[in-house]
Amino acid sequence: MSALAASVSPWQRLWSAYVRGTVRHPALASLVPFVPVVALWALVAQSGLFPPVFFPGPAEVVQKFGTLMANGILPAYLEDSVIRLAAGTAAGLALGIPLGLLVGLSDRAHRALWPVLLFFQAIGDIAWLPILLIWFGFGLTTMIFVIVYTVLFPVVLNTVLGVRSVPLELHRAALSLGASKVRVLWEVVLPGALPNIMTGLRNGLGFGWRALIAAEIIVGTSGIGFLMFDARRAGSVVEILLGMIVLGVLWYVVDSWVLAPIERVTGQRWGLVTRHD
Amino acid sequence: MSVPRLVAAAMFVLPLLALLLIWQAVVHGFDVSPRVFPAVGAVFQAGLEAMQDGTLIRHIGASLGRMALGTVIGIVTAVPLGVAMGTNRAVSTFFTPLLRFFSVLAGIAWIPIATLWFGYGFGAITFVIFNAVFFVVAYNTLLGVTGIAMPLRHAAASLGATRWQMLTEVLLPGALPNIVTGVRTGLGFAWRGLIAAEMIATNVGLGYMLFVARDFYRTEVIVLGMIVIGVLWLLIDRLLLSPLERATIERWGLVRAA
Repeated sequence: MSALAASVSPWQRLWSAYVRGTVRHPALASLVPFVPVVALWALVAQSGLFPPVFFPGPAEVVQKFGTLMANGILPAYLEDSVIRLAAGTAAGLALGIPLGLLVGLSDRAHRALWPVLLFFQAIGDIAWLPILLIWFGFGLTTMIFVIVYTVLFPVVLNTVLGVRSVPLELHRAALSLGASKVRVLWEVVLPGALPNIMTGLRNGLGFGWRALIAAEIIVGTSGIGFLMFDARRAGSVVEILLGMIVLGVLWYVVDSWVLAPIERVTGQRWGLVTRHD
Repeated sequence: MSVPRLVAAAMFVLPLLALLLIWQAVVHGFDVSPRVFPAVGAVFQAGLEAMQDGTLIRHIGASLGRMALGTVIGIVTAVPLGVAMGTNRAVSTFFTPLLRFFSVLAGIAWIPIATLWFGYGFGAITFVIFNAVFFVVAYNTLLGVTGIAMPLRHAAASLGATRWQMLTEVLLPGALPNIVTGVRTGLGFAWRGLIAAEMIATNVGLGYMLFVARDFYRTEVIVLGMIVIGVLWLLIDRLLLSPLERATIERWGLVRAA
């Protein structure tokens, strides 16, 4: 036992302590790797390899975070961005799921709409910005429209896939047991398509997120994207870096508090993933 | 082309033609101002003009050139890095959250700092495309390599596979479906990043063409640009990504051929 202990270097012992710690507190595993990165960042910034104007250190960013929180700019912009994303996503889901059900269930609708859907999906959200600016001007409508558009297509296309993946026997079984068409829709088709709908939502949010940043940069009234681009005009790298970090953290929060729990619930119930106890 | 394929192609084009008719009917019927939405003929006319004076080709060339360069550099650097990080479990558990964080930011969020570091122009735009592809592909490669069953690697090692054979015959093929997924997602982000960056940071390219047309309320040029962007992405998807997916993912039995 003592011979074995002697052959383990302090580094290995530290590592195994870390691994044990991450098992007990999973959040640790996603936080600790950032420590050396931030340290390296501070070191490079300190060394003066790049001019400090172009490459500020973490201390300045934290300080900036403090000031922007204190004067209320960051909370206000963050609220604007999150509300836009949430409203756009909700509208995208409300339009996308029924449309996906229609195209998935009806052959006629599929034949008529599928090529059109593919084409509009290919145009991409950001290419709509110039004409939206002509239609709606620089404002909230333009931004919400872009996000709805971005979220809509991944949701529709994945809902169609999901609906079509529900075996026909299940439809027939439910119908022959006397279920009405509405009940089949509600209790067979929709639950069966749910995992795909979640995939669509995840993809849509990934794209919608980026569309929001682009829209805020170009429309430029408020929001995290605007904060970053305004800072770029003023040449303040500190605020740009702060904006990027806020965006990254925000996505982590949305992912682990909203998307992952829903996916766990839907995926587990349909037996797509096994529960880890 | 065989008759059934011809019919299928016609069935695909028919709804799009119908859309064209509806567009024309609405613009005519409701007397829509060309400053709000152009007529089909005006867009066609704008397309012809832009083809004749060579501007359209120049914009498309600039956009596709940036896209190709950024994508190639991104894939060439991301795949080796992803494999290197994925081979060792300790290294991969360490890097996974980092790469996840950066793949969330990949693309458009880098536009402000890229334009500051590289100035407005070619460098900044190519950098945005590069990092959109790089982080997503590296993250997916890492996931792919760590997802290879350990017994497979042990079996290859105990049968005397050299490191090179391990790399080319176990790790890379095993991670390939994930790499291809990464390339698809990364290209999707890069394409949007390209259009957005061109609106902000350059004087040539499709995004610029659209954004300048907005200044003069030339909706026919905007709609032309949108159609070109849509068609180009469909071509990238059909001619590049779909064959790649067929060749890799279907070979590994993950999706059935349609």
